[in-house]
Amino acid sequence: MKNDQQKVRNIGISAHIDSGKTTLTERILYYTDRIHAIHEVKGKDGVGATMDSMELERERGITIASAATYCRWRDHEINIIDTPGHVDFTIEVERSLRVLDGAVLVLCAVGGVQSQSITVDQQMKRYRVPCLAFINKCDRNGASPERVIDQLRSKLGHRAVPLQMPIGLEADFQGVVDLVSMKALYFEGDKGERVVEEAIPAALMEQAKGLREALIDAASLHSDELTEAILEGVDLPEEVLIEAIRRATLARQLTPVLMGSAYKNRGVQPLLDAITRYLPCPADIQNEALDTAHEERPVVLTSKGTDPALALAFKLEDGPYGQLTYIRVYQGVIAKGQTLINARSGRKFKIGRVVRMHSEQMEDIEAIEAGYIGALFGIECASGDTFIAPGLSLTMTSMFVPEPVISLSIMPQDNKSQVGMSKALSRFTKEDPTFKTFVDAETGETIIEGMGELHLDVYVERMRREYGCDVTTGQPRVAYRETITQRADFNYTHKKQTGGAGQFGRIAGYLEPLEDADFEFVNAIVGGAIPTQFIPACEKGFRSCLAKGPRMEFPVTGIRVVIDDGASHAVDSSDMAFQAAARGAFREGYLRARPVIKEPIMKVVVETPTEFQGSVMGLLNQRRGMILGAQDEGPQCVIEAQTPLAEMFGFSTVLRSATQGKAQFTMEFAHYRQVPQGLAEKIAEEMAAKKKRAA
Amino acid sequence: MKLRGLLPLFGVAAKIVYLTQWRKTMTSPDWDVPSPLSRLGLEDADGIPEGGFGAVAAPAGVGKTALLVQLALHAMLKDEPVLHVSLQDPVQKIGLWYRELFQNLAGHEGLPRAGQVWERILPNRFIMSFQVEGFTVPRLEERISDLTAQNIFHPRLMIVDGLRFQPEIAPTLKDLKRYAEKQGLRVWFTVHVHRRDTDAHGLGPNELNELLGMFAVILKLDTVGDEIKIRVEKGFPGGEAPAALSLDPTSLLLRAS
Repeated sequence: MKNDQQKVRNIGISAHIDSGKTTLTERILYYTDRIHAIHEVKGKDGVGATMDSMELERERGITIASAATYCRWRDHEINIIDTPGHVDFTIEVERSLRVLDGAVLVLCAVGGVQSQSITVDQQMKRYRVPCLAFINKCDRNGASPERVIDQLRSKLGHRAVPLQMPIGLEADFQGVVDLVSMKALYFEGDKGERVVEEAIPAALMEQAKGLREALIDAASLHSDELTEAILEGVDLPEEVLIEAIRRATLARQLTPVLMGSAYKNRGVQPLLDAITRYLPCPADIQNEALDTAHEERPVVLTSKGTDPALALAFKLEDGPYGQLTYIRVYQGVIAKGQTLINARSGRKFKIGRVVRMHSEQMEDIEAIEAGYIGALFGIECASGDTFIAPGLSLTMTSMFVPEPVISLSIMPQDNKSQVGMSKALSRFTKEDPTFKTFVDAETGETIIEGMGELHLDVYVERMRREYGCDVTTGQPRVAYRETITQRADFNYTHKKQTGGAGQFGRIAGYLEPLEDADFEFVNAIVGGAIPTQFIPACEKGFRSCLAKGPRMEFPVTGIRVVIDDGASHAVDSSDMAFQAAARGAFREGYLRARPVIKEPIMKVVVETPTEFQGSVMGLLNQRRGMILGAQDEGPQCVIEAQTPLAEMFGFSTVLRSATQGKAQFTMEFAHYRQVPQGLAEKIAEEMAAKKKRAA
Repeated sequence: MKLRGLLPLFGVAAKIVYLTQWRKTMTSPDWDVPSPLSRLGLEDADGIPEGGFGAVAAPAGVGKTALLVQLALHAMLKDEPVLHVSLQDPVQKIGLWYRELFQNLAGHEGLPRAGQVWERILPNRFIMSFQVEGFTVPRLEERISDLTAQNIFHPRLMIVDGLRFQPEIAPTLKDLKRYAEKQGLRVWFTVHVHRRDTDAHGLGPNELNELLGMFAVILKLDTVGDEIKIRVEKGFPGGEAPAALSLDPTSLLLRAS
């Protein structure tokens, strides 16, 4: 690998489902000579697009795991992470954004800014990723790049400025006018591989001039040189304008908008030019790590090749030759034969093979330098781990991992499947921090947990295909929680005198609801009623009660425990005794504090043609949904609602049949809310029945 | 138990509701927050009768939406369903207005259990957002009937935010008036006034003055130095308000000044 960081771009391509990002990536790889034939996502040739490497993705036409690949364009190296478009796989999107320096937000010229684009945009904001927008599908009926640009401004709050304007639209879409060079670009050849520059058609000249004016105006806020050139009235050099746009884009003050149709092979090469011109190189971005030796103080990384190495494992994949670990190097060089330390486990390991990935094919290389993305072979680790050179005490910031909201029991059909299943589960849990698994101690069932129905569905399907194990699944179960609704006092004495050393501990205080956190322990004891050395034991005792609520056995959240009195015995008091006393005190107070069940509420966004608005609202209402609002957007409307997850199973089928398949919806976890009384009783009955069965 | 009186007529589905319990459920168990406009001496909650119109007029960015959202929050706390119709902002943004002002209110008044109360009153609000060019009264009627026919939501108070008050607005307002009277809805509007018209009375430009008769209450927001003062243009029963109100420019909450 050459070491010229200025010429490296680590970018992601993010968008809503079906905006055509995989098709776009496929075209990019074709024009950069990485592949020699184009295959469509749902292609008739049965090959599928190159980036959709998993069989399942090909079948469903969606991208699930983000494959990393690299390509070259005009002496720049571009590493592309293709990201999934479904909210259920958001952790993948977040993980990709963490290692990216810039992103391309692909939008559909017909659908515009859709719900998933909003989620992805929020994530980009969180990681301060500069981005370009590409309005795809300009050849489709109803395409309106202008409307999409308006939505970028109004819905996402971007200062979106077009760098191009379309020549013709819908079936008549021929090419684009480049507003920076003021040339018309046409794409000729079978695969649109020849970009032909011509003069702007006279009919579009006026409009193009107006748009260029607006572009210069927006960019001039970030460049004194450009402002001076405008004031002096001299001819504006192209480089000055490009530099001004680049600076504004890096500061996230401006979002350049390009357009085209990937499927029709139009507008992709100018997008590649824009990626190299306006998106940042690794040196433009300041990356921070946490110093574990100094209370996790943030440390700025240097991105110099000579400094000690530091890399982040952002994705794992199980290949035919063992585990493949995708890494991004932030500092130093990672080379074959080098010894590194896994910051999480403290374990030392030696690097065997270093490769550069192109979707499923790979290329052996000697080393990966700072700013680059590559992959290692045979490293035992989990995704999100940091690798450091000996002597460093840094870790990359931990990523926000949401708690799972849905669970499913799975049962292998035979012995062979049992082996495959355990292999698959250990792999999946390493790959995806939102996917969890455990064995239910009471029923003996293996339970998998995740972020939604489709999320778990995909893993069960992968078990069947990749590990050849047949599993039967139970009914999806919702992750309920318990909490209390009022303050209740406790005063509990734990006393035992059955021969040998006795046990004694008394704890008094109260429990009360807590709104913003899961648990808080407050020690309000004055005068040493409970000796200080036993206070941690008290806390431990209370904490141990949280995993299973005394009433319904769901995890307990939102509770504050305050202890203000107690008693101890000089001989009989011990950590054990106070832990037992705390457990007793919790049970005593909890049942008096009016415990209730809480259920996960999902934020559901349905996009539907206006004529089905009424029936969609009816559907949501039947599912105990609370409709927050409806937004009219011409022929389409967007309905936002909060609906309990328990009611959302099979919603996609119902929605399809109610709207002739014209509506689509996305769903993500919002918060927990109290279950209505009638339903809580039903859940309690079910739990009791389950317990009886298990016994 | 043998049922007496009229109850047998309703069959077995009929349930006896005891008045004491009924009162208990109907009075808000949460917070006793006085109407934000009660200090102005306006009758009832906001001084407009069923089927009546109210307006808040001010230049851009002075706090029209904030004032109306507070009226709406007050209605929601009294379990009165509020329909917020916006012609300028998306649903999410309006939702944030409510959340923010509710939190400010809870924090300012030191009210307990804000999270629970918010959860309880949220079903009392419905937001509809239209594009300005797509907004017509028949369309709004159709959308509301989608909600009422399926028993999803029955608004009592409607807030119309972002309607452009130009001379050609008269037919739209008349249609809305007819609809509001039929449904017994109270409707509040935000009226965008140009800064050059801030001294003018009524709704701003003189051409709109013929519409004044439709409104029971008109409030005007003026910026005086760092403060935002609320003036009753029309609707105060005694002619002059007994106390002055203003909007706190940081929290955008109403306060006595």
